[in-house]
Amino acid sequence: METEKNGNITQVHQNNSTKAKGSVDSYGFEKPDGYESYEEMMTEYLAVLTRRSAKWSKLMKGKVKVENNLKVKRYVRKGVPNEHRAQIWMAASGAQAQMEKNPGYYQSLLGMDQQRDPKLEETVRTDMHRTFPDNVHFRNSSETCLQNVLYNVLLAYGCHNPSVGYCQGMNFIAGYLIIITKNEEKSFWLMDALIGRILPDYYTPAMLGLKTDQEVLGELVRVKVPAVWQAMAQHDVMWTLVVSRWFICLYIDVLPVETVLRIWDCLFYEGSKILFRVALTLIRHHQAELLQATSMPELCERFKLITQGAFTNDCHTFMQEIFKEPGSLSMGTVTKLRETCRGRILAEEVSVSP
Amino acid sequence: MSETYDFLFKFLVIGNAGTGKSCLLHQFIEKRFKDDSNHTIGVEFGSKIINVVNKYVKLQIWDTAGQERFRSVTRSYYRGAAGALLVYDITSRETYNALTNWLTDARMLASQNIVIILCGNKKDLDADREVTFLEASRFAQENELMFLETSALTGENVEEAFIQCARKILNKIESGELDPERMGSGIQYGDAALRQLRSPRRGQAESAQECGC
Repeated sequence: METEKNGNITQVHQNNSTKAKGSVDSYGFEKPDGYESYEEMMTEYLAVLTRRSAKWSKLMKGKVKVENNLKVKRYVRKGVPNEHRAQIWMAASGAQAQMEKNPGYYQSLLGMDQQRDPKLEETVRTDMHRTFPDNVHFRNSSETCLQNVLYNVLLAYGCHNPSVGYCQGMNFIAGYLIIITKNEEKSFWLMDALIGRILPDYYTPAMLGLKTDQEVLGELVRVKVPAVWQAMAQHDVMWTLVVSRWFICLYIDVLPVETVLRIWDCLFYEGSKILFRVALTLIRHHQAELLQATSMPELCERFKLITQGAFTNDCHTFMQEIFKEPGSLSMGTVTKLRETCRGRILAEEVSVSP
Repeated sequence: MSETYDFLFKFLVIGNAGTGKSCLLHQFIEKRFKDDSNHTIGVEFGSKIINVVNKYVKLQIWDTAGQERFRSVTRSYYRGAAGALLVYDITSRETYNALTNWLTDARMLASQNIVIILCGNKKDLDADREVTFLEASRFAQENELMFLETSALTGENVEEAFIQCARKILNKIESGELDPERMGSGIQYGDAALRQLRSPRRGQAESAQECGC
């Protein structure tokens, strides 16, 4: 992959406003089934985007930093237009500041050939052809194949944070960051913001943060959607079976691309609590469907189905719903539940291991 | 649901990342090779009804993520599995060396009686082979595993692997070595079997199973 001096990826792709050609969407993904209804929604959404875009341009005029106030929060929840997305994510997450504080650091990580862990390289390489084979930019056959860029970002991150190294799921996240920022170095610093600061320890070898958040979601469902919690208990379904993907992939490949990006707008600005709002909304909104399941496999299947369809395709309405449907959800509650669940998991792990 | 079968077996597909577990499952269910998918995160399900020794057996197959750190999460899926495909890649010694760990997990967490078939996958890549047939078949013998070399690409021995594993479980049920009614056996009676077998006592056992406790 050719990269310019500033790390911008050259030759790469159309922006959101140019019509995608043929069978792929504007991000290069093959259009999924039911894309027609998605396109209909997008036509309407385009008007929203245009309006938001003008507002954002005005807000950001002459500014590099994103302020922390209610107005910006409202703006973020209503969606960041694609042309501002990279900049807003970089600013809101602190990635921009880190990048400026550490000039040349990213390049130096890629330069440390000798100290590299061969196991890390091997593990990352195993997943290269298994990351978005449904995206024209990540295919081997593509002239603008982004696999090398993806490989660099993941390898650099693994060297930067050896306690995490590489965990499956990070490849999808890096992939999205590359698609949006079109810049290797920025993608790296956004990874650093997400994994190092915004998310709990989802990707470390013990995956304690992931296990914790799965249980936290269970506790939240117990209170907010008790019938579904009961169904899960009745069919003996562990939360990990149905939601580990949601958390590990930050909804990539679970929800439609545009919806994922809108969720990430809030994730970068407001933090990881948003992941619970999304999960709770999906579960609460579809509880009738979930409760029809008569067996464990059927319940698991239904958890897959509720991520598809008009409700999640219409990203703008969906994002309004996530702040209404689950009701109040304070950071205090989440923090407290995380502490309780983490303690419980650690105690269980001690009692299980010999 | 209208499907009828005599038994339902819970199966696992386990082994290192990139050995072709999902491709084996896809080849078994759809009868074609699919290599244009994202790798598995967490667990994916597949099911298929097969006919073995005049019985209809529904396999409920749990396809798991292979990366080592996911093991601490996927371990909780093992409970109550009746059978497993333990997969390595014949072109990667590393995936073969990891078999002992997978085996320990499976026997410890699923059940001592779990029936396991070892699958040396990517048989079609013979030129890049790092593990010989003989070596793996010795390992299988020492560890009381069945063994086949498979190719998810060509489909060679794929169906055979699932069928052999199911057949062995059926044999064990018939010989009394496996008791489907024991908790966590990974085996359930299907409707068809119930019609033939239902006696007052069996009826009770079945309703106990349905409550999932």
